[in-house]
Amino acid sequence: MRIGLDVGGTHTDAVLIGDKGIIATAKVVTDHELLLNSVLSALKEVIRGADQKSIEAVTLSTTLTTNALLEGKADRVGVIVSSGPGIDPHHFRIGDAYFVIDGSIDHRGIEKKALDNKQLDHAVRACREKSIRAYAVATKFSTRNSTHELLMEAGIGGEADVITAGHRLSGGLNFPRRITTAYFNSAISRQFNDFALAIKNGIEKLGLNAPVNVLKADGGTMPLASSRIAPVQSILSGPAASIMGIAALCFITRDALILDIGGTSTDIAIFAKGLPLLEQEGISLRGNPTLVRSLKTMSLAVGGDSTLRVFEGHLSVGPDRSGPSLAAGGTRPALIDALNATGEAAFGDTDASRRGIADLAQTAGTTPNILSNDAIGIAVKAITDAVGHMIHEINERPVYTIHDFLHSERIAPSQLYIVGGPAQAFADRLSKSFGIKTIVPRLHAVANAIGAAITRTTADLELFADTERQVLLVPRLSVQKSITTTYSLEHARRDAEGYLRSSLGDSVVSAQDTEIQIIEASSFNMIDGSRMMGRNIRVRSQTKPGHITSYLAGVRSSC
Amino acid sequence: MLKAKNRLGIVFFPAFDWAISPTHPEREERLLYTQDQLREEGIFDITGITEQKPDVALPDDVSRVHFCIPDVSAVTTESHLISAGGAIKAARLLMEGSVDKAFALVRPPGHHAMKVVHGNRGFCNINIEAIMIEYIREHYGQKRIAIVDTDCHHGDGTQDIYWHDPNTLFISLHQDGRTLYPGSGFLEENGGPNALNRTINIPLPPETCDEGFIYIIDNVVLPMLSDFKPDLIINSAGQDNHYSDPITNMKFTAQGYALLNQKLNPHIAVLEGGYSIQGALPYVNCGIALAMAGLDFGALREPDYDAARLRQASPITEYIKKFGQKALAQYFAPSPKQHEPGTFVTREKNIFYDTDMIREHQVESVIVCNDCAGTIVIETTSSINALSLGVEIPLGACNHCVEEGMRLLDKARRSGKYRYLKLINRRDKVYQP
Repeated sequence: MRIGLDVGGTHTDAVLIGDKGIIATAKVVTDHELLLNSVLSALKEVIRGADQKSIEAVTLSTTLTTNALLEGKADRVGVIVSSGPGIDPHHFRIGDAYFVIDGSIDHRGIEKKALDNKQLDHAVRACREKSIRAYAVATKFSTRNSTHELLMEAGIGGEADVITAGHRLSGGLNFPRRITTAYFNSAISRQFNDFALAIKNGIEKLGLNAPVNVLKADGGTMPLASSRIAPVQSILSGPAASIMGIAALCFITRDALILDIGGTSTDIAIFAKGLPLLEQEGISLRGNPTLVRSLKTMSLAVGGDSTLRVFEGHLSVGPDRSGPSLAAGGTRPALIDALNATGEAAFGDTDASRRGIADLAQTAGTTPNILSNDAIGIAVKAITDAVGHMIHEINERPVYTIHDFLHSERIAPSQLYIVGGPAQAFADRLSKSFGIKTIVPRLHAVANAIGAAITRTTADLELFADTERQVLLVPRLSVQKSITTTYSLEHARRDAEGYLRSSLGDSVVSAQDTEIQIIEASSFNMIDGSRMMGRNIRVRSQTKPGHITSYLAGVRSSC
Repeated sequence: MLKAKNRLGIVFFPAFDWAISPTHPEREERLLYTQDQLREEGIFDITGITEQKPDVALPDDVSRVHFCIPDVSAVTTESHLISAGGAIKAARLLMEGSVDKAFALVRPPGHHAMKVVHGNRGFCNINIEAIMIEYIREHYGQKRIAIVDTDCHHGDGTQDIYWHDPNTLFISLHQDGRTLYPGSGFLEENGGPNALNRTINIPLPPETCDEGFIYIIDNVVLPMLSDFKPDLIINSAGQDNHYSDPITNMKFTAQGYALLNQKLNPHIAVLEGGYSIQGALPYVNCGIALAMAGLDFGALREPDYDAARLRQASPITEYIKKFGQKALAQYFAPSPKQHEPGTFVTREKNIFYDTDMIREHQVESVIVCNDCAGTIVIETTSSINALSLGVEIPLGACNHCVEEGMRLLDKARRSGKYRYLKLINRRDKVYQP
């Protein structure tokens, strides 16, 4: 049995799942002041009467840390960076304690200029004077040579509550994102850890002895211990929770499109051959791109509560919401009112919708029917265009070899899943607009918690080896060691798999569910004149996001 | 967050699985470190800068420009068509208004590929800039276009293709041909009878530094451009003038390249040569991208940059100043009418394809014409292909030049002495590959 726990802004949902399906569910109001109470009362409800020893794991999905960042309630962070030549690193300033110090490492990982210790001391002193206890350090190309970040960590020393070194969060390249990601990680560390510790204690108090996992933005989970070091991986996991919920309940095997139509927005996600697509680099938090791996989703400002307006004869839908719809007792007509007026929806006070639409039609000098149809048409077109744009972008994504240029597969969704409040009302029109088979799954009220409960642990890493410098790095795991000149791509593939397997540790459920993929593997000969100097090897390995197969049959509903 | 002043599309295609040969400078990892640098700098996260996938050039796009002997497929591979397609994509993005500037960061290069192609010379098979430019003219109308070639090697292929075109100003800055491949590109090479002074060569002495390049741009190139008034400026952005390049002798820097680009302000830049793949390309490409996007590049330096070592010797400065004045005087001198309209002017060329070890002999004739660029007829024979002939009727050709071109082609066909016959009829868009 597994437990899924979804701590949202309004409700906290819990579910207990066995191999035959859902055993118990609970939904309680989230009490922000006494968060632990909501969590515990939901948990208590689902484990009542269950054999607690056979509970394998509890997976937690929460948007609380994201909210802390979005609401500016995160901690102050001392950010120390070193870049060497390139784009002026002052452009990447984040937070109010940002320090740039001298030092330079090049793209091969070769130190070109030593780290300036005096400047480092000065930066640390300045942070201490400001009583800063959280730090983020990032240097350019630290994923090719982490030495300078390690020196910074050492320089800050034991007085800090948390120090995030950029290379430990992602082995990828992108210095500005590394800075931002490290910053966010330290900024939410204290709050996340308080929360995580409370959850852990609470679970133990209930007598549960199961390991706790946390849902990540990439649709996988990480063990609680990892999440306490890298809480940033849990930010913006909201869309992942809902996508993994749908994927748990519906049997998606092909290229598919998922639309989650809410009050103010429509979230779009895309599946390729049954697997959710990931962002190329990482998720953006309020316009700040990060290296946090995430599912590829897009949010469009069109939803049931989008306000309808007529200005100089032109009808517009959204992008804002001005209170509830007329049907829900509001004062201005919204998209859902148009659907009520045409009879495609029957939500709330349909008479109020009809009256309001008739009034608006009069201002526009048209009939209520034409106005409603136009409004729905605008929304459907906006969604269709956004999806078209997203698919075009995916199919036009750059490739770097002739082989990939000639052979890369194109995405062509053949199935559309629509969820959310007004899903049913939109189904026919969207189905026509996309021209593909459309399904409106009757989702379980705690779908997100179900998705979380049976989601697999995911992990990924980058391995970099330079046989001329005789060095191997797995930045994510802080591995930096020497190799011989005979180290080859085959060795690297094996090592990338081995390191990933050992990093997964106890969280591995079954071999079938933790199939490790090598998603990138290249080896370039390094030649000077016509002399072979060595090989430059890069390998990326990952485990696929997905669900634990043995639980799937039980929860699948007739989508 | 950084925001680009100019919307810039970077068509990046490093062809990581293609090389001329395993140890050839034009090999797989040529753009590897450039990609690392661009990614690490976060270039593609800058608002307004986008990474784009190349198009693939179609056989027609190639045979609109080149006489490929025996045919397009024999002298190109997929890599060449994607590289040319990358340049086409850059042009398309610009012409369709989705970007303000475009940078085709693609390989293999093309500026040594001439009008007639028997194989690879100077690492080039087909001329990717020329294919791009003629794609623009075919789809968006005749344009006045200036090409400024800042590769260290003379852009002899591009010069050959535009030798007779009065609507294209070709300016090549390069290391003096007496000291470097391909050994051409002297001031006296200044265009055919219908396009005199539309070819400008500025050979620079070895060890020319930032100062010398920028002097020439400010005092020679920019005045010529403001006189020519091009609709589009193209930069053939070879990067082998860099002080760390292994096969040349110049002392240009990443700062210098960025500054040059900023001053030149090209609509499109296309990568050409440049083989210091670790020490130069990552920084030069980054500098060009920042300059094109209108962003600050003041902090961009090579890690081993040493200002003292890269200062220009004063005799070189003096030489360049004098030479610049001479080039300027030649460009602005009234061009004497030397030939009677309607007559043919002929030149003979011996061309060596260093990469493929092919020798070619050509006789090229152009109709002297006051009304159009003039029809061109080229007889070519090489160590791998028997005597063949190509006729090119230019874009906007006058009736006389069209009739003359068709008559000569017909006559050649009936003579039976040519192995392959090629036609480029730009006026009627007929290409016989």
